[in-house]
Amino acid sequence: MNAMEIANSPAMWIACGLAVLLVIIQAVIFTRQAYKAGPKVGLTNTQLKKAVKSSALTAIGPSLVVLSGMLSLLITVGGPMAWMRLSFIGSVMFESIAAGIGTSTVGVELGVDPMTGSALTMAVWTMIIGSIGWIIIGTFSADKMDKVQSKISGGDPAKLAMISSAAIVGLFAGMTAQKLVTLNKNALACVLGGGIMAFLMYLSEKKNIAWLKDWNLTISIFAALMITALI
Amino acid sequence: MNENNQFYDNEYLPKQHKIGKLTGWTGLLICFAPALVLGFLYHLWPNPTALVTASVAALSSFLIIQIVEPISYYPLVGPVGTYMAFLSGNISNMRIPCASMAQISAEVEPGSHKGSIIAAIGMGVSVIINITVLTLGVIAGSSILAMLPETVISALNYVLPALFGALFIQFAVKQKKLAVIMLAICILLYIGINGGVFDFLPGARNYLGTLVSIFSAIAIGTALHKTPTKQSAE
Repeated sequence: MNAMEIANSPAMWIACGLAVLLVIIQAVIFTRQAYKAGPKVGLTNTQLKKAVKSSALTAIGPSLVVLSGMLSLLITVGGPMAWMRLSFIGSVMFESIAAGIGTSTVGVELGVDPMTGSALTMAVWTMIIGSIGWIIIGTFSADKMDKVQSKISGGDPAKLAMISSAAIVGLFAGMTAQKLVTLNKNALACVLGGGIMAFLMYLSEKKNIAWLKDWNLTISIFAALMITALI
Repeated sequence: MNENNQFYDNEYLPKQHKIGKLTGWTGLLICFAPALVLGFLYHLWPNPTALVTASVAALSSFLIIQIVEPISYYPLVGPVGTYMAFLSGNISNMRIPCASMAQISAEVEPGSHKGSIIAAIGMGVSVIINITVLTLGVIAGSSILAMLPETVISALNYVLPALFGALFIQFAVKQKKLAVIMLAICILLYIGINGGVFDFLPGARNYLGTLVSIFSAIAIGTALHKTPTKQSAE
């Protein structure tokens, strides 16, 4: 068996499938729990349904981006690992860097040289060891951060909401700035996405078009990438 | 209201923490499964020296971001969101956008109990869609890449820039002053990062942007909030 046959073997599919299954099970349980808890904290059915709909719509674009990342990873580390790694911790950027670091220690340049058994092993181990920090820190800190946060906010819900809203603005300002400073087509797509969004938000507010509010993000992204790709 | 808090704090949250810990720690073990299959089934074990070299290289780039992200993203995604985001990954490019958009369309405050529950729903839905798309993709294999016309593939590169720009505007309109200040700071920050100004910090390119943008926004947001003129403008 050569390295790629091993990478795509049924045993690898099963091992990777277990991890993917765990992520699905967790998501289903948490979503159901939250959906059931919703009415008890005063959320209406309409709000819950809107949340599902808008997150589903928002997820489509990024999912396709992750898919294209998976398809390039698939060529180098095989289907099962690519599928698992992009369903599980990490991110598109992290996985290819980690896999590359792993294979380079045994003299194989990822995507250039043919994959060997030892390079595949190194890629797999490096992707795993390189990423477990996220799951360890995340799982460990989730119940502790709650206390830290309520200490900082002094238990004041208004201050808590202010901190969260400011953090969101900061995060997306950072992401936007990162794209803008490239001064290439990424920057253009970013400006167009923002510009079209501003226009649609103004329009839906002024003319009071309810359906547009649900769709303005999707329309903005689609229009922005169409224009950018065609220029 | 009091009753709601009781339910959230005493019933909902403790149960979610149990589920989160159980699935999280299981995930930590289960992610080694492919490596163990390679070892036990195909006798492919890593060379210890190479493994140490590779781990040090990977961790020096990614360890700090792994500590920074769960703490920085917590105010945005809440406890349940943290469990889900760090098991499923793709946080800034998918989990947080979905959680935030769910909060916007349900018209709930981030950081509140309602906000935390809506974020959990948004994130869960995004995980399911993400994995469905990936699973269909991996079954179809790389042949679908070949089927797609060139323009579609290049257009995919622009999804995330457009998403970030649009989301920034979405949140900026509610806090215009903070948004303008933050965008200016972040542009300078990224010019600095790309220019190698911070390269004396190992792996700074990976984590510095997230760390500075979120925490300076919280600090500046708090400062602006204390100014009464800003209050009345809202």
